[in-house]
Amino acid sequence: MGWKETAEPVLTRMPAVQRPEGHVPFRRKLGWTAGILVLYFFLTNVTLFGLDVSTQSDLFGRFRSILAGAQGSILQLGIGPIVTASIVLQLLGGADLLGLDTNDPRDQILYQGLQKFLVVVMICLTGIPMVFAGSFLPPSQAVASALGITATGVQVLLFAQIFVGGVLILFMDEIVSKWGVGSGVGLFIIAGVSQQLVGGLFAWPSLGGAAGFIPTWIGILTGSQTLADGQLLTGPGIQALLFQPGQILALFTTVLIFGIVVYAESVRVEIPLSHARVKGARGRFPVKLIYASVLPMILVRALQANIQFLGRILFSQSPAGSSAITLFGTSMPWLGQYGSDGQPVGGFFYYFAPIQAPQDWLWFLAGTAAEPWQIFIRVAIDLTFMVIGGAIFAIFWVETTGMGPEATARQIQNSGMQIPGFRRNPQVIEKVMERYIPQVTVIGGALVGLLAVMANMLGTIGQVSGTGLLLTVSITYKLYEEIAEEQLMEMHPMMRNMFGR
Amino acid sequence: MSKGDNSGGLMSSAGLVRYFDAEDRNAIRFDPKTIVAFGLLFGIGVLVLNLVA
Repeated sequence: MGWKETAEPVLTRMPAVQRPEGHVPFRRKLGWTAGILVLYFFLTNVTLFGLDVSTQSDLFGRFRSILAGAQGSILQLGIGPIVTASIVLQLLGGADLLGLDTNDPRDQILYQGLQKFLVVVMICLTGIPMVFAGSFLPPSQAVASALGITATGVQVLLFAQIFVGGVLILFMDEIVSKWGVGSGVGLFIIAGVSQQLVGGLFAWPSLGGAAGFIPTWIGILTGSQTLADGQLLTGPGIQALLFQPGQILALFTTVLIFGIVVYAESVRVEIPLSHARVKGARGRFPVKLIYASVLPMILVRALQANIQFLGRILFSQSPAGSSAITLFGTSMPWLGQYGSDGQPVGGFFYYFAPIQAPQDWLWFLAGTAAEPWQIFIRVAIDLTFMVIGGAIFAIFWVETTGMGPEATARQIQNSGMQIPGFRRNPQVIEKVMERYIPQVTVIGGALVGLLAVMANMLGTIGQVSGTGLLLTVSITYKLYEEIAEEQLMEMHPMMRNMFGR
Repeated sequence: MSKGDNSGGLMSSAGLVRYFDAEDRNAIRFDPKTIVAFGLLFGIGVLVLNLVA
């Protein structure tokens, strides 16, 4: 019967975190969640042993905000491997190539094992080039000579550490999912983006980095910082107010995205339900606009990140001093040309790099050296990628997580409900669901993609990126709903039966 | 009476990784405390190594 039997002995033995026996009190759940969060922050602050701290560059670059983790720390990889593994699973599962039925306990075990196995593969696939190719994690010569080993030996040590870090993230996610509130991946994304957001708002100039929004404005209002030599109502003055250092546009975008996501969470098509036997018991099944949640968006972004990752790895193999990717001795400027800061400035990898900030496209403000037509192509590709990719991954997401018409119809049927005016039959409910779920999913996915690109073009506070912001707001909203539900169950234990846990 | 919120109980809110109720008896199972303790010790260990070298 193919791969299932072959892989079974390995996949069923994948180590897992114990499940709690019985109900975990809400306080304990919060305790686990907070504990894991503290551990996460601690680990992002532990610098890798044997790393040459002076000359590293972040391979994830601007994608960092959605991939969590921290450059040069044990959690260098962040949730990158989990996301990439998830992309592979979504594509395989969405196209129904796996042949796994997630209602069958045996297949569930296989699915879980396959998930873990893929994450470990991805840790190696991203970690090995990161350590051994290019200068993303340069080994420290001092450590090499102190230990009496070669630089390659130190690289092996570095890889071992980020490998352990990657596996730890996976298990931390599992602990939060099983013992805590929400999911670890969501938690780490919120943690990273919130940290950047707070930094972008409050960071004092004396901290070293760029000044945050509020200190800048205190400076502007008290006169210690001047905007465009005091000529506010001229072109440069307005530009300084809107972009750097005024950042009014960024603040506006950030608040707007918050508003749109919270509003869109409440936009839904409600399908009325009534109980088959208990007369008068009514309910509604909400099909939300952001039905598939914003999560598929991270998959699209991660796909783009992986393309850029490949480009930078290829470029790092080119001889020193060259500005284009050189493979097998031939220069390939059509594939990618890179600037001195390691960002692509031309070729395939330039056009496939998403717009991350206003400076990337505002040619008339001299934010970029690229020609307007080049920028136009890049924006068009980014937009197409995000809108179409968002819609496709949203569909796959709905199918693989059991939110599709068939799965929801079965759920409604099993809960003893029916749609008034229709025969009580899962196929009939499925037909009705098919009228709404696919359409709403595609519109929602495309809308979220559009929003993410728009937010990036206008800029966000703290460079959190549109996707980061969208993810954070919607995950926080979900978390809030989940906490509210938990508290309800805590107060009325009877509710637990109703929610089925 | 909001049966509509019934999500099957298996799906975590925003999880990229899905965990099911079913578990194989052969699987190695860790106590969550073990993992947290390991993470802490590993972090402290690397910190100490950084200080020493």
